[in-house]
Amino acid sequence: MAEHHAASDGKHKASANAGGSVHGNSRPGAAGGGGGGGGGKGGLSGGLTQPAGWQSLLSFSILFLACLAGFSSRLFAVIRFESIIHEFDPWFNYRSTHHLTTNGFFEFLNWFDERAWYPLGRIVGGTVYPGLMVTAGLIHYVLNLLHITVHIRDVCVFLAPVFSGLTAISTFLLTRELWNQGAGLLAACFIAIVPGYISRSVAGSFDNEGIAIFALQFTYYLWVKSVKTGSVFWTIGCCLSYFYMVSAWGGYVFIINLIPLHVFVLLLMQRYSRRVYIAYSTFYIVGLILSMQIPFVGFQPIRTSEHMAAAGVFALLQAYAFLQYLKDRLTRQEFQTLFFLGVSLAAGVVFLTVIYLTYTGIYAKIHIPIIASVSEHQPTTWVSFFFDLHILVCTFPAGLWFCIKNINDERVFVALYAISAVYFAGVMVRLMLTLTPVVCMLSAVAFSSVFEHYMGDDTKREKPPAEDSSDEDDKRNSGNLYDKAGKVRKHVSEQEKAEEGLGPNVKSIVTMLMLMLLMMFAVHCTWVTSNAYSSPSVVLASYNHDGTRNILDDFREAYYWLRQNTDEHARVMSWWDYGYQIAGMANRTTLVDNNTWNNSHIALVGKAMSSNESAAYQIMRSLDVDYVLIIFGGVIGYSGDDINKFLWMVRIAEGEHPKDIRESDYFTPQGEFRVDKAGSPTLLNCLMYKMSYYRFGEMQLDFRTPPGFDRTRNAEIGNKDIKFKHLEEAFTSEHWLVRIYKVKNLDNREPLDHKLRSVVPKQKYTSKKVAGHILFCCFNQK
Amino acid sequence: CYIVLMYKVIFCTLLSEKVTQMMEWASKRSVIRMNGDKFRRFVKAPPRNYSMVIMFTALQPQRQCGVCRQADEEFQVLANSWRYSSAFTNKVFFASVDFDEGSDVFQMLNMNSAPTFLHFPSKGKPRRSDTYELQVRGFAAEQLARWVADRTDVQIRVIRPPNYAGPLLLGFLLAVIGGLAYLRRHNLEFLFNKNVWAFSALCFVLIMTSGQMWNHIRGPPYAHKNPSTGQVSYIHGSSQAQFVAETHIVLLFNAAVTMGMVLLCEAATSDMDIGKRKIMCVAGIGLVMLFFSWLLSIFRAKYHGYPYSFLMS
Repeated sequence: MAEHHAASDGKHKASANAGGSVHGNSRPGAAGGGGGGGGGKGGLSGGLTQPAGWQSLLSFSILFLACLAGFSSRLFAVIRFESIIHEFDPWFNYRSTHHLTTNGFFEFLNWFDERAWYPLGRIVGGTVYPGLMVTAGLIHYVLNLLHITVHIRDVCVFLAPVFSGLTAISTFLLTRELWNQGAGLLAACFIAIVPGYISRSVAGSFDNEGIAIFALQFTYYLWVKSVKTGSVFWTIGCCLSYFYMVSAWGGYVFIINLIPLHVFVLLLMQRYSRRVYIAYSTFYIVGLILSMQIPFVGFQPIRTSEHMAAAGVFALLQAYAFLQYLKDRLTRQEFQTLFFLGVSLAAGVVFLTVIYLTYTGIYAKIHIPIIASVSEHQPTTWVSFFFDLHILVCTFPAGLWFCIKNINDERVFVALYAISAVYFAGVMVRLMLTLTPVVCMLSAVAFSSVFEHYMGDDTKREKPPAEDSSDEDDKRNSGNLYDKAGKVRKHVSEQEKAEEGLGPNVKSIVTMLMLMLLMMFAVHCTWVTSNAYSSPSVVLASYNHDGTRNILDDFREAYYWLRQNTDEHARVMSWWDYGYQIAGMANRTTLVDNNTWNNSHIALVGKAMSSNESAAYQIMRSLDVDYVLIIFGGVIGYSGDDINKFLWMVRIAEGEHPKDIRESDYFTPQGEFRVDKAGSPTLLNCLMYKMSYYRFGEMQLDFRTPPGFDRTRNAEIGNKDIKFKHLEEAFTSEHWLVRIYKVKNLDNREPLDHKLRSVVPKQKYTSKKVAGHILFCCFNQK
Repeated sequence: CYIVLMYKVIFCTLLSEKVTQMMEWASKRSVIRMNGDKFRRFVKAPPRNYSMVIMFTALQPQRQCGVCRQADEEFQVLANSWRYSSAFTNKVFFASVDFDEGSDVFQMLNMNSAPTFLHFPSKGKPRRSDTYELQVRGFAAEQLARWVADRTDVQIRVIRPPNYAGPLLLGFLLAVIGGLAYLRRHNLEFLFNKNVWAFSALCFVLIMTSGQMWNHIRGPPYAHKNPSTGQVSYIHGSSQAQFVAETHIVLLFNAAVTMGMVLLCEAATSDMDIGKRKIMCVAGIGLVMLFFSWLLSIFRAKYHGYPYSFLMS
């Protein structure tokens, strides 16, 4: 009932704000949310009987709409295609979740997967963050318990959108703690639709990050809450949330470094208090013990360098608290301050070295080929910042400015969060994800401060502020006796402002323009989500001139072919990108997959792909390969195929086998990578080339181009007469996107090479060479 | 027969002379500088039992070859690693030819780009693989060392002189700050100035969001000058890359939008007279609108197919 009421209310409000499209719909409502406080205040002076009730109803409806908008804007892929797991890593997560639901939790923890990394196998239970699978499994279990029979795949597909709603709520809570309710609502609306977060949480992208951002934000909320209250209850909540985060994503390291940093900076700012002491001591001990319960993490928290900062700050805090205790007993304060200086300097040096070490570590990792080959490990250009955050990237520094100007304990936290996250996002494009929440929060602060001052009339505002602020104060301080200098100053300024207004015209123009910016943001988000982040990449779509759509379902076609037509224990060799998909969809044994833990094994596959056929056959025999699967995009012009990735295979192979594989052999003398006649002969005869272009030379795609014209690289291929000796074509999908070859068994008897022993001595050459040699020897002796 | 012997003797003395001369030069500086005459005598002229690795470059400032300088540094690192290694012999020498000192050499070898690395083997003609593929392999000293090892069988372990400048500077800075803080220990007010802290935090954030880290890692050029038309473009045409100038522009625009937002708030809250506040307010919203739409238009130019624009296309 309440929900219905809220929704209709929100819709009404949205239409009043002239919202248009389906997804834009929620946005003006959200923009109104910034003024939510202001609007509520307007109603307050109008003499409504229960202002608090109105406010909470409005907040609730806005939050609900934000969640709804977040959920529905993530459904593009499901509506356009179907309910399907996306990309690569999600397929592994899906497969393990499936294993979990069919075999139970303990079986999952002990799972040794003999179908991956043949012949090595992989201990899955001990090498994954199980939070994602357990969450999905639990939801599935509960739903089934209620006799809502849902397939586990649908739970997996819709998990990330559901969690984005929870993220919006926790962002609201955190921002409310940091600034005020209006900013919180704006932040919730921002995070619900911002592309930087949608990129990792569309429906079907069943990955750790989807739930981890919720855990991250919720942990931070509980941490801020526990620093504000100093109660063990909130801290234990924070630890539990941290435990969930550790179980879900490797990015928990960010938390375990940011919170100590916060405490350290608070100490430096002489903002030490008992609340901080209680919060951090409890958090460190309980959080440490809880995090060590995850098998994959194990003893890392007390061993590795990235956890040492936390331990150092813990020790420092104890020392500081002890000194504080002594200070009450002793009078020699000068001595103590000196001592404090020494201690903090030592801790600071330790802290800096740790940061320096991690920094160099990150830096070194960039140059390892297997890491460099993953496009997510690239540094970030300004375009991707703008693409993922749009208006927020320009305005969030303003929010940071306001936060630092009105500093208090929790705003120190958000400032540190922003600075560290922006650094990491600059270094690595995938860490944009951790930056996005803080950008939303700070932008919300900036927008909300503008709206707070520019929405509503001067005349009406004359009276309320004093009442309003006291009301707000009451509300905020009801639970605790917590008051900070920054807040008081803000209220003073609010009262000052009420004395003389800027006039209704200026105010309404500013408000209008700001709302316009926010609408543009909403439109941008929708466009980006729809165009850039909503393709499953398992199913491709192409559009004709008249707008009709072709679905290219080659991947699934090929994987199901493997599933139906090959032996259950057949081993399929492919480049590591497709390992998870083969395991997930075809249910066959793979050699390498996206869990790139064994570089030499990957290099071996790369070597097989980049050697000539007979050398490759030896490698494939030694690895018991039955089928080879490659992706070839030359027919439809698909650019993400194996030939375009080929140089990485060569590079990785060269890293391990520099004697046999040389990158320079695959280039033309001019240093170009070409597949046409001018290409290097090594390339034109390597296994990958032959498998990609086998029989392609006979194929004429259209009348303007010669037969064997590769549409991806716009070149006529150089080697059209490809014959195989040890392989045979087993399957080629409809658009030739996936090609599968069968590795033949050894012949009964190895046929002799009928090369006659050459008996004609090459005397001319030898004599000349020997003569030359002698001549030089003479020179040398002299 | 006698003539042949004479010939041999002359050659041998010539060779040993050359080798001693080369060794002498190499002991002075690890990369031997050559001009046209030296090049013809020590590299082109036949009696030679040593390999030469030669960098053809243009280091004079008027040539404006930024890559040459970087390549030169790497080459020096490689040559020094070889020169001071225990395995140093007279089998390989490193030399460089500057375009302004030996342009005739460039003509002789029919070369029209710098930097170029060539290997002149101890015997036989240089082959295709004796030209280092700079475009493909880059000019990192490690890559060069691998190439040299490949061509001459001389393994060089690249030892980079550790760069003490960074840590030293940091230490110095910390010492200065610490010293200042100690001197003013009775008046530490300046540490509590929020404006300073807020301003430095903003600077850091703006630097990061404008992609300076990308510049730091990738090292793009400042701007691109079209050689045929002479037109300078400051904005890279693709969304995958950027020029340094472009990031500076973006940094300024971001800063302007931020400042606009701050001004808007200041206009509403400050206790100045109403006229000034109105000006501040208008300036603030103007800054936000103008620079954001400008930024949007730059973004649109880079991200092909982006449909939206605002105020300016």
